[in-house]
Amino acid sequence: MASANRLLVRNIRKSFGTHEVLKGISLEARDGDVISILGASGSGKSTFLRCINLLEIANEGEIWVDGEQIQMTRHHGQNRPQSQKQVDRIRSELGMVFQSFNLWSHMTILENIIEGPVHVLKRPKADCIAEAEALLEKVGIADKRHAYPAHLSGGQQQRAAIARSLAMKPKVMLFDEPTSALDPELVGEVLRVMRALAEEGMTMLVVTHEMSFARDVSNRVIFMRQGVIDSDGAPQDMFGSNASPAFRQFIGNFGA
Amino acid sequence: MDFPFLLQTMKTLLAALPMTLALFLLSVSCGLVLALLIVWMRVGGNAVARNFAKGYIFVFRGSPLLIQMFLIFYGLGQFGFIRYSFLWPALREPFVCAVLALALCTAGYTAEIFRGGLRAVSPREIEAARAIGMSGGLLVRRILAPIAFRHALPAYSTEVVMMVKSTALASLVTVWEVTGVAQRLISQTYRTMEVFLCAALIYLVLNFIILQAFAALERRLSRHRDTAPRPLPNAKPQIA
Amino acid sequence: MTFIEMLGFGQKGWAGLLLGAALLTICVTATALVIGACLGAVVASAKLSGSRSLRLIGHVYTTVFRGVPELLIIYVIYFGGSAAVTAVGSFLGYTGFLGLPSFVAGALAVGMISGAYQAEVYRGAFLAISRGELEAAQAIGMAKGLRFRRIIMPQVVRLAIPGIGNVWQLSLKDSALVSVTGLAELMRTTQIAAGSTRQYFLFFIIGGCLYLVLTSLSDRVFQRAERRANRSMPASMGQA
Repeated sequence: MASANRLLVRNIRKSFGTHEVLKGISLEARDGDVISILGASGSGKSTFLRCINLLEIANEGEIWVDGEQIQMTRHHGQNRPQSQKQVDRIRSELGMVFQSFNLWSHMTILENIIEGPVHVLKRPKADCIAEAEALLEKVGIADKRHAYPAHLSGGQQQRAAIARSLAMKPKVMLFDEPTSALDPELVGEVLRVMRALAEEGMTMLVVTHEMSFARDVSNRVIFMRQGVIDSDGAPQDMFGSNASPAFRQFIGNFGA
Repeated sequence: MDFPFLLQTMKTLLAALPMTLALFLLSVSCGLVLALLIVWMRVGGNAVARNFAKGYIFVFRGSPLLIQMFLIFYGLGQFGFIRYSFLWPALREPFVCAVLALALCTAGYTAEIFRGGLRAVSPREIEAARAIGMSGGLLVRRILAPIAFRHALPAYSTEVVMMVKSTALASLVTVWEVTGVAQRLISQTYRTMEVFLCAALIYLVLNFIILQAFAALERRLSRHRDTAPRPLPNAKPQIA
Repeated sequence: MTFIEMLGFGQKGWAGLLLGAALLTICVTATALVIGACLGAVVASAKLSGSRSLRLIGHVYTTVFRGVPELLIIYVIYFGGSAAVTAVGSFLGYTGFLGLPSFVAGALAVGMISGAYQAEVYRGAFLAISRGELEAAQAIGMAKGLRFRRIIMPQVVRLAIPGIGNVWQLSLKDSALVSVTGLAELMRTTQIAAGSTRQYFLFFIIGGCLYLVLTSLSDRVFQRAERRANRSMPASMGQA
């Protein structure tokens, strides 16, 4: 296994009932890759992301994080993680940012951010607080540290959620449509934070509808269609003249 | 298990069922009428009536039914003017006292439930009715009451089931309904579990029938909705 | 004897006894609340569990203890409990009747009823937690126990406070029924005072007022707790 592979996914399949959502997806992310995953709704892109950190369990396929394979067993013909311990550890190495932020509503922003480092990674609280304050500064909401999530705008909540994921010092960040639930005027502030992360060399997988982000920030674009990868390439190729017809039609709908 | 004993117990308890039903039906219907009066006072424009209704609801929801029942049963007879009034032949009857206490108490809870229903009527619906020229009694009868009743129905069904259980207190003023008879059987036979099972079964069947009836009524009244309404929490609403 | 003497703290006055009895009522209710919290948590997790038989058991528990008259349940626990204690006693070589202390029987009975209502409160609170927040906890690598302790428990407690307040009020009034076991709580003491002075009306009014004081004071306590717990909520929701 090449050590530069932060994430390796091989032939993931996932069905809900009789409906097959993912029909064999493979992907490789090297250190510092920023991969945008595009596709119409229902193309399976969110399910794919959720399979990577096992919020959904794929029926088939392999997942390797930083050279370590997630161990699976077969149970009634279905895949099942062998060790919940390993799953929890792998999850703590993968940052996940949700469409609906999912900050814990009973904790302040600062408490949200230090929750994982203190209780999952069991690091000293004082260090975690110092790091959390630096992260809040970085995402631009240092003044909100003692506010509760419900008192923040959507854009501020999403930036706090990104800080919460970063506090775990993840090897890969997964973004599941991070700007889809935001009012248009709040999208920019979240994208700026994500762009800064990309420039720092964070390995990122981003499911998004933001064409400008895919084209300008990511170094690779994957277009999913009906549960398979339709096309995959550098943004200049994908958005260039030799794009696949399906992708061309897809971005045409966005007026990009 | 001793089936002949269970059968005998069931028979004895069922003989008291008409009394439980009479207590229940009379007090729920009287309580409903009284509740409508109180909720009308509670939401009306008259400050004196409003405060009276507030006080009524506070007192009857805030104190135990048993103390209300004892107050009526033992307390009223203390006064000469009641003992010599034309009401005395009725008020000396334990059954009448029990129904009176049950009705007065449920009226307090029911009024509060209906007030909640009224608050759930959207101002836009009222505005629309006014816009086509409805007002006063017509507005209440055609728009306000039906919508409010529909909203209040789930909580009201809970209150009605509570009333089934409350009829048991009548046994403490010597009205021999199901729980009173069950208590007597327990102290005679010491076969607590068997008697309890029979009595519990009677109450649970009764509740089941009532809840089915309310569910049917609710379905009828919510034909305009696609999905079933969410049930309200089962605990009684909080004190105002 | 004048009213003042009767109601005073003097030798023939009932004030001290009534206040002590009110304290006992609070003790019974508080013990019942704790018993009910434990039972409620167990029953709620049974009703939420993946196992069909556990769900059925939970369902039967809440149906029976919310559907059968409180008085009947108190009789069963008191008489049945005493029978059980006597049986254990005779097994250990003690002949004769052993009673279950009426405080224990009463608190247990009211607690079991309270447990059925609390189970519904906790279940509702659990279902009200945002699925997304639970997912975020999973995604950050929290193991099951940690997730329960850090994310689920604090939110269930917060969301359950209004419901627990309602259950407390219900239990406070149910505790009056424990008077049938002879426990000298507020209801029973009021009865004794009324009977021995023959001032039924006066004493039942006073007893009722003491209950009103208890219910409205505890209502205020729960409202404060709710406001405190909801400081993380937007202002509009905190009011609800």
